[in-house]
Amino acid sequence: MEGNHTIWIEKYRPRKLADIVGQTDIVVRLQSYVKSGSLPHLLFTGSAGIGKTTAAVALAREFFGDAWQMNFREMNASDERGIDVVRNQIKQFARTSPLAGASFKVLFLDEADALTTDAQAALRRTMETYAHTCRFILSCNYSSKIIDPIQSRCAIYRFRPLDREAIALEVERIAAAEGLTVTKDALDAIAYVAQGDMRKAINALQGAAILSAAIDAAKIYEITSTARPEEINDLLNLAVGGDFEGAERLLDDLVRGRGIAPNELITQCYRTLVKRDMDRGLKVELIDALGETDFRLSEGASSEIQMEAMIARFVLAAEKYT
Amino acid sequence: MHDTTDWTEKYRPCSLGDIVGNTSAVRQMYEWAKTWTPQSKPLVLYGKPGIGKTSSAYALANDMNWEVVELNASDQRTKQVIDRIAGSSSTTGSLSGAQRKVIILDEADNLHAHADRGGARAIVDIIAHSRQPIILIANDYYGLAKELKKVTEPVQFRALQARSIAPRLRYICSAEGIACPEEVLAAIAERAGGDMRAAVNMLHAAAIGRETLQAGDIHTGEKDERSTIFDLVAAVFGKRGDEALLKVSYDVEDTPDTIEQWIEGNLQHMPDFASRARGYDSISRADEYIGRTYRRQYYTLWRYATALMLLGVADAAGGHGIHGRITSPERWGKMSRSRRQKAIRTELLRKLSRETHTPQSTLREEFFTAITLLVEQDPARAVREFDLDADELTLFLHDKAAAAKVVREVAKEAKAAEKKETASRKKTGKTKAETDPPKAPEDAKRPDVSSGQSTLF
Repeated sequence: MEGNHTIWIEKYRPRKLADIVGQTDIVVRLQSYVKSGSLPHLLFTGSAGIGKTTAAVALAREFFGDAWQMNFREMNASDERGIDVVRNQIKQFARTSPLAGASFKVLFLDEADALTTDAQAALRRTMETYAHTCRFILSCNYSSKIIDPIQSRCAIYRFRPLDREAIALEVERIAAAEGLTVTKDALDAIAYVAQGDMRKAINALQGAAILSAAIDAAKIYEITSTARPEEINDLLNLAVGGDFEGAERLLDDLVRGRGIAPNELITQCYRTLVKRDMDRGLKVELIDALGETDFRLSEGASSEIQMEAMIARFVLAAEKYT
Repeated sequence: MHDTTDWTEKYRPCSLGDIVGNTSAVRQMYEWAKTWTPQSKPLVLYGKPGIGKTSSAYALANDMNWEVVELNASDQRTKQVIDRIAGSSSTTGSLSGAQRKVIILDEADNLHAHADRGGARAIVDIIAHSRQPIILIANDYYGLAKELKKVTEPVQFRALQARSIAPRLRYICSAEGIACPEEVLAAIAERAGGDMRAAVNMLHAAAIGRETLQAGDIHTGEKDERSTIFDLVAAVFGKRGDEALLKVSYDVEDTPDTIEQWIEGNLQHMPDFASRARGYDSISRADEYIGRTYRRQYYTLWRYATALMLLGVADAAGGHGIHGRITSPERWGKMSRSRRQKAIRTELLRKLSRETHTPQSTLREEFFTAITLLVEQDPARAVREFDLDADELTLFLHDKAAAAKVVREVAKEAKAAEKKETASRKKTGKTKAETDPPKAPEDAKRPDVSSGQSTLF
């Protein structure tokens, strides 16, 4: 199959707005822009892998049809963050007239929050001056990093992290196209691993598909080097229950036996702890222990010592609260 | 053919009479234009985004039948460029038969330090030589170069009331043939946070492809985050579960350092001092993580900051709730004041350094105490010698009123001296270039300075 060599996140990136999952409200509004032929400046905010770029490209395709590539340009602001990029490249694109009978062009500026404040200041008037030839779609992770005058010029759309249903829908679509079988447990595992990020979900699926066409939860956890949620729960139960040796053995098994990175374990522990029903004071202490360990690891400390010390801190903290 | 124009452009007011709100600013502009002579100072319109500064400038030009030349931050504004574009238009008359040409300099507080080298200087030059009216526009009056502030007249624009935004939205709706209930218009006006442009954009974004608007149609266009940060602060003191609490914080698109300031600013709502102290404990720990995040550029650490400050403070508050008003962080007011102080200090050091041919760092580290003593001895003299203004003198004297008085007196003396000189020049027939620069009356103000101390250094 020739498709095995392409990256699925590109191969299966939705071409049409209607195919974007999990952002229904936004998609409906964008479709009505297409229908009416009118478009304000837009600001897309939200975390990675939830459809901002896909929506911008699909919008351009539907707006301009075959001429979309002539009238659409994508720039990444984190590559060129200075004021010159606004004064030269962006202005150059914005000022030239649209092609093939389109009434305006669209400039998609990805990671616009990476632009310096000066560059953003220069951008704001460009957006207005060339509004008759060019519309801007800005995307960013945090809208608070976009200066007010620009926010004031845009219609703001907040993309939400994708829920399990949205992820499952897309994964099943791809699985059907690739002739894979995916169990329900595997879908849960993919949703757990992805954390609302479709890119992660599709990468996990593609990775597992290399191992086998029949995909179950074990393959997903294996290919993504992730511990199962139950295992993380066991680890926490052992430590909070005061069984240091037991927790240490499980930790060793996960890190050395299964090759799960200490950082990944910390992240999983964090996610589990936040949801866990337990004394709030103890929870705060445990999270603090995680954070301290995470920090020390980032400083280059030895992961074996730090992880064991973390478990020991867990045990000690739990004793105070029983 | 579809109408694709941006509503903010389409409905930009054409005449000063159509400007919403800011009546006193509008009146000031109108008076200025009516009585304009080449000796008039240029105006600086300043205020928050989207409240009508640029629109007012254009509307005024339209009302007066003045042609417009505009320069903004998206143009490069080095001295040469400004000279070329505005310089010619500022000295020569208009070709199109319009009476005058007004030069509108948008984003005057955004002269880029490197790319716009010499920009502020060039604008001052243009102002000095222009025979045409000039209007500068800025968001932040304090961000304006000092030499610009000196030669201009400020006009303050204030954020608009929601009740004055709504009627304009109603007008646009009827012009576009869109049915929209009053409460939806009011909601948009409210959410815009005083920003007319944001309100019009919100309305436009919601109305495209629709003929009627309902309350649910505008949910995507929220501009202001305050409403949700208030929710978050309330939630921290409330009875919500851990996960739900963190979820509120994801909705608030503010970074942990901002959230931290808000929570800290509301710790006085704690039921007793012990809980308050525990709250501080959590926040200070969270603060450590924020510091580490930035120092190491390792953003994963942010989540610990968020979790510790939210769950830790919530644990300390014990679901006590907030009895009173949630206030915005007091420190912010102080911070903006201290930013201003810093700007003043920098400017002062620059001046002293130029006058004394001494590097700023040396002045700051080794001579500042000595200078302070000298200035305290004879403030008027320091004002004359270094051309200090009241703010700068206050840094030495720590007494705003006294400093202002000294500066006023020196200015009066200088004026008197100038008058005297003009009179004597008339008598002797000398030209100004040949005379010495105006001197302050020496006999009056420097009696007990010995000759060895003829300057401060």
